[in-house]
Amino acid sequence: MSLNIFICGVGGQGLVLLTSVIGDACVKKGRKVVTGEMYGLSQRSGAVSVHLRIGEDVFSPLIPYGGADILLALEAIEALRYLEYLKKDGIVLMNSRVMHPPVETARIVASKGTKYITLEDVVSNLRKWTNKIAVVDALALARESGNINTENTVFLGCLSTLEAFPVEENFIRESISDAVPKKTVEQNLKAFELGKRSAHGMLCKLVPCRYPL
Amino acid sequence: MVLKDVLSKENKKAFMLCNEAIARGALEADVKVVAFYPGAPASEILDTFSDALGSFDYQMEIATNEKVALEICAGAAFAGVRSLTAMKSVGANVASDMLFVLGYTGVRGGLVIVMADDPHAHSSQSEEDGRFFAPNTYLPMLEPSTPQEAKNMVKKAFEISERHRVPVIIRTVTRVNHQSGIVKLGNIERSEFKKVKWKELKEEYTTLGEVARQKKLKMLERSARLLKEFEKSEFNLTHNPESKVGIVTSSVSYLYVLEALKMLNLNDKVRILKLGTTYPLPKETISNFIRTLNEVIVVEELSPYLEKEIFVLAKDINSSIKIFGKSSGTFSEAWEYNPSIVAKGIAAALDIAYPGYEQIVREAKQFKSTIPDRYPTFCAGCPHRATFVALSQALRIQASKGQEHYFSNDIGCYSMWVFPPISMTDSSLCMGASVGVANGLSHVIEERVVAAVGDSTFYHAAIPALIDAVHNGNKFTLVILDNSVTAMTGQQSNPSTEFTAGGRQGKKVSIENICKAIGVEFLEIVDSYDVKNNVEVFRKALEYDGLAVVISRRECALYGDRNKRRKGEKIVPFYVDKQICKRPYVCLRTFYCPAYEIDNEQQPRISADICDGCSVCSKLCPIQSIKRVEAEK
Repeated sequence: MSLNIFICGVGGQGLVLLTSVIGDACVKKGRKVVTGEMYGLSQRSGAVSVHLRIGEDVFSPLIPYGGADILLALEAIEALRYLEYLKKDGIVLMNSRVMHPPVETARIVASKGTKYITLEDVVSNLRKWTNKIAVVDALALARESGNINTENTVFLGCLSTLEAFPVEENFIRESISDAVPKKTVEQNLKAFELGKRSAHGMLCKLVPCRYPL
Repeated sequence: MVLKDVLSKENKKAFMLCNEAIARGALEADVKVVAFYPGAPASEILDTFSDALGSFDYQMEIATNEKVALEICAGAAFAGVRSLTAMKSVGANVASDMLFVLGYTGVRGGLVIVMADDPHAHSSQSEEDGRFFAPNTYLPMLEPSTPQEAKNMVKKAFEISERHRVPVIIRTVTRVNHQSGIVKLGNIERSEFKKVKWKELKEEYTTLGEVARQKKLKMLERSARLLKEFEKSEFNLTHNPESKVGIVTSSVSYLYVLEALKMLNLNDKVRILKLGTTYPLPKETISNFIRTLNEVIVVEELSPYLEKEIFVLAKDINSSIKIFGKSSGTFSEAWEYNPSIVAKGIAAALDIAYPGYEQIVREAKQFKSTIPDRYPTFCAGCPHRATFVALSQALRIQASKGQEHYFSNDIGCYSMWVFPPISMTDSSLCMGASVGVANGLSHVIEERVVAAVGDSTFYHAAIPALIDAVHNGNKFTLVILDNSVTAMTGQQSNPSTEFTAGGRQGKKVSIENICKAIGVEFLEIVDSYDVKNNVEVFRKALEYDGLAVVISRRECALYGDRNKRRKGEKIVPFYVDKQICKRPYVCLRTFYCPAYEIDNEQQPRISADICDGCSVCSKLCPIQSIKRVEAEK
């Protein structure tokens, strides 16, 4: 059995750290893990994506089209950008946060009547692919944790509740503590807890979860 | 976490990026001198060595360009010291002059050269196939598929290099460099760094005329010896039972083949030859593999490097074999592959059913047609954005006076002027070409030529072209964007930075002093953030009847933020005062900052968590409606 997660977001949201924590937790648990990372040209605000694969029979750093069990989008628009990688009826775990790229704002300024794409637009398009869509207000939870940069850790909390996720939360908590700056460990662990709790309110109603409340 | 693993003395397993595994392998091999110029997808090798510099005893330079980096390593290797450099594909072009002579002279100490190609041109100007450097320079080449194999190969490469007294190329591709996986750490046993006596090692490293002709013969003998050794290399794997169809592959394509066979339910049914030594190509190994096959499928990205050799070998060994690859149209020479593309190719060659992937890609395309592109863009606070605003205003003013222009761009973060919504560039080519091309254009076009180059690219390859401009009296405007670091690849230091690798103190090399020494007569230095003043400076530089150089200086925003955090300084964002804003949209129409959005009332809004507090937009606003957050209190 393998688990394929396609992770996407915007440069600066901490996708690489998120990947590194999961990878390290897999090593601790003794799971095979392979990733393929694409950072893009710009240091910030560009599209970033990671193919993350856990299981004994995974080889390629890239997930085949239609092969991802989970599409994890740290930014809402990005959830649609890589739709071809998601299995039909696969799980979408996404941020409600929409970050409008400058080109979109420029278009609205240039021509009256054009509107921003909304979270609802994105979700309604995703629904044509799958009904298993969990939307998390990760920014609000990150803020609640005391550190606005912990959106990525919120999603680690969500992922850890999934029955299909083959690494228990104690390994992830340990890897988080190893990976983040010392003075932010507590905030990150809080963000992790908040992510877990939010998953129970939404994600776990769609798919089997590990720690039923 | 990852650096901790790179430094670890334990023989444990660790999750590592391939580039980190390469660095770890070299450390395990007791490498003593490393030198690099950063470039995706190889930059993290440099970064890892820079981070580890305090923990181990080795010499490191972040060199001005790839050729200098290779020469540094060659110097060390001539004296019997192990050295390693890594460069991106197009960096190898810059280093290639040295690469060719090293084939002739050879080395004493192990010299390993990591060459990282970028199929799909994710972060490069071309889809170069660097494999052809190996047969052309007669340097042996190894190609890993995974981080673990890359680490093993680096260690082995040092041994091969010393045994045959030749530099060894490790050729990677983006999907290998930027692949992470589990790596088993080996022993780190570091010897003490000490200087050696040249007197005891002395020999001649020359090649010219008759010397070169004699060395060419030696080089051919060396390749023959290497070929013999590679026929038995552990890096060439054959697996799965005998079958009438076989696959020959290498690099990341090997992993796609394994995945594709799984997708086609052919797991153990097709015999595979995975080549790890791709120069000299182990001809006997390949011949033995194809001898009894009816069909062979060659899976390799970019050029038909393996395939052409297989055609040649098949002629004598198995002339009736059917060869599927590029020439059969099964696979393309364009773009990178993935498991789906490889599965489709294998299915087509074997004439078995496979639904393909076009349907799912097409369907997804239809559902995502509404989303905006997210082009690479300047970070919030980027000084290049401010330089762009001033320069484009100056160009507009000049255009209204009848002076048109050609914009000659270069390689660096400012390359993003190419992308919408800015889209201001006539040419963007290769390192330093902005100035070289400006020379040629200035002879033949009526419009004013404007060239732009960053600090790192200036040192790397633009100085000779600027000397040419002064010497020949060429007339154009050059903007040097000095942001203190090599920003695009991750803010590495360069001669414009006050420190060197590992954060050690370095001497800044003044760009203005170089310009003055060359004899540039119009030279202005401005603060990139001072947009209003800079419009006038750029205008003068455009009107100047000669070569005009403007240095637009302000440190990279991310680098600046890092320094601020270190000093405990806060980043204070700006906001739009809704009472004052009358929506002239100057901010939105000219600045294109990712911190900006329009709110429901059609007013500009700044995201406090993205805003870098650079203040430039507040200076652009004609009605002063953009204020620093603290001013609110």
